[in-house]
Amino acid sequence: MTTAESSKNELFDAIVAYNKDRVVAAVEKARNVLKPQEIIDALALGMNEVGVRFERGRLFLPHVMVAAEAMTAGVKLIEGDLPKGGGKEGTAVIVTGTVEGDVHDIGKSIVSTMLQCSGYKVFDLGRDVPIRNFIETVKAENGRMIGMSALMTTTMQAQRECIEMLVEEGLRNNVKVMVGGAPATQAWADKIGADGYGENASEAVSKANALLGVK
Amino acid sequence: MKKSQILDDLQEGMNDAAELGSVPALSSDELDKLAEILMTPGRMVGVETGMEVPVTHDIGTIRLDGDQGNSGVGIPSSRLVGMMFHERAMGADTMELGHIDYSFKPVKPVIANEMQAMEVVQQNMIVPILYGAMPNMGLYYTPDGPFENPGDLMKSFKIKEAQEMTEKSAEHLTRDMVWIMQRMMKAGADGVNFDTTGAAGDGDFYATLNAVEQLRKQFPDMYIETGMAGEMVLGMHGELKYKGDLLAGLWPHQQAKLMGKAGSNIFGPVVNTNTSKSSPWNLGRAVTFVKAAVKESPIPCHVNMGMGVGGIPMFETPTVDAVSHASKAMVEVAGVDGI
Amino acid sequence: MEFSKSMRIKQAKEYVAKKLGVSTFDLSDEYVMREVRESLGIGVITSVAGAPKGCAAKLNIEKLLDLKINCCEKFRKQLK
Repeated sequence: MTTAESSKNELFDAIVAYNKDRVVAAVEKARNVLKPQEIIDALALGMNEVGVRFERGRLFLPHVMVAAEAMTAGVKLIEGDLPKGGGKEGTAVIVTGTVEGDVHDIGKSIVSTMLQCSGYKVFDLGRDVPIRNFIETVKAENGRMIGMSALMTTTMQAQRECIEMLVEEGLRNNVKVMVGGAPATQAWADKIGADGYGENASEAVSKANALLGVK
Repeated sequence: MKKSQILDDLQEGMNDAAELGSVPALSSDELDKLAEILMTPGRMVGVETGMEVPVTHDIGTIRLDGDQGNSGVGIPSSRLVGMMFHERAMGADTMELGHIDYSFKPVKPVIANEMQAMEVVQQNMIVPILYGAMPNMGLYYTPDGPFENPGDLMKSFKIKEAQEMTEKSAEHLTRDMVWIMQRMMKAGADGVNFDTTGAAGDGDFYATLNAVEQLRKQFPDMYIETGMAGEMVLGMHGELKYKGDLLAGLWPHQQAKLMGKAGSNIFGPVVNTNTSKSSPWNLGRAVTFVKAAVKESPIPCHVNMGMGVGGIPMFETPTVDAVSHASKAMVEVAGVDGI
Repeated sequence: MEFSKSMRIKQAKEYVAKKLGVSTFDLSDEYVMREVRESLGIGVITSVAGAPKGCAAKLNIEKLLDLKINCCEKFRKQLK
């Protein structure tokens, strides 16, 4: 007999196996025993596990993307079942980028991808991004978080400057700030008044979830 | 930290490496030895007599005159002066000539300058001189290169296209690295140092393995050193193989075998420092990974020790205590052939 | 030797020590090696007038260690 627990496990396993057909079938089956939000939560748990396996070298970026695509397909199936204005947490906007003067791209791209896979609407501004662009994009897109990467001790200062600019613009209370990149540490985040620091991409996602109040 | 905390953290770091890389844990004697090294008083410690190892240096030529803020001290001097300082005054056992950008691709337009610099350097230096640069495959993607950025394609779920761009970039990168080194060998270089291999993931690693293989065929006596960018080869493509081995997700002991197979002489394993953990945790972890690499490697291993790698804290001027204690541990417990 | 013959550290030290006629411990002994370096003409740290430097020292190392060094080969080829 299909129980709520076994349905959740099936959804989780299908995502971790990055198998779209299995995910779609599991969602169809789960609709009879789980609420739409419970289905999404189980799929999201699977995505978290995919992120952890990516960090540990058990799964690779294409697998993460296929899993995310499968999750999107699964969520689409039950979109109509979701209560209107149900406050879906996953649609929060996050603006990411590597700060001005710094052309490192890959780590930041992985974090953006993982955030996107976790259901956030991500505006990845790329690399060598002027601080002003982070602010403007947050304003234009009603962003709830800025994620800044810096790979050099010389460029990480821009993370502090961006926070200062957010304060000047009166936006700081509404926008969370996360920092990352090789020279960044929790101590650096604390020093410049950032809200969070992620050691790696999966930690960045869990910190973002915590900061934005998403499970 | 108290002794018990140091021992607990060493153990925990070691377990993390052993589990992640499926490599053997250290013995209790080795853990005790690590604790003893960490607790050795004195800011500067050295290896036991008879255990001395050579040190190879990356980017040393521009460490003196470089003034980018994070890797140079901005003393106006030529690259030759930088090299001679390292050989005569700082005890470097090998040096490399490097371009200020330190990536292979930008060397192409200034190759004649680099060749002449190599000729002059080789007239004056005694230690082996390599040409050093980073494969840095990111330079082949937009906006720096001709191929669409695989990261952007991935984000749009265009997985096949992203993989294709990675393959094309890797092919170009191999070609450029081989072309540059053919010329530098003509100018008298003793060999090459591929620094931060795999920085752009498995495609970068793949391109370098192929370049090593081609260079080894063309120059049987060439010195080839390949150092890594990180502890694990990131699977940005995910399906690239070298001589039947999947490259994504390889750990140092597995990377070493492939580097030997391709024709490298020296492998430079990297273990990243986790800035949220203590020095003992990071050292226990780094030594476990590197010991396994040294054991399984068919070629000598020169471990990367510096800012944010090899159990050394992430700081642009790493503390002397951390560097010397961690280096001693790498030699005496991990058994590295050099640093 | 690690570069030219892919020798591991122990083997490399033994090879070099044997060729130079010293013990492996001597290789790191500044006092012993100063004399060895000066008498074999393979380069000394302090600038001694007349002692082989640069390429000249490498030509001596090549012979002593039975190696082929690329820059020495190129140097020889340029001689008329």
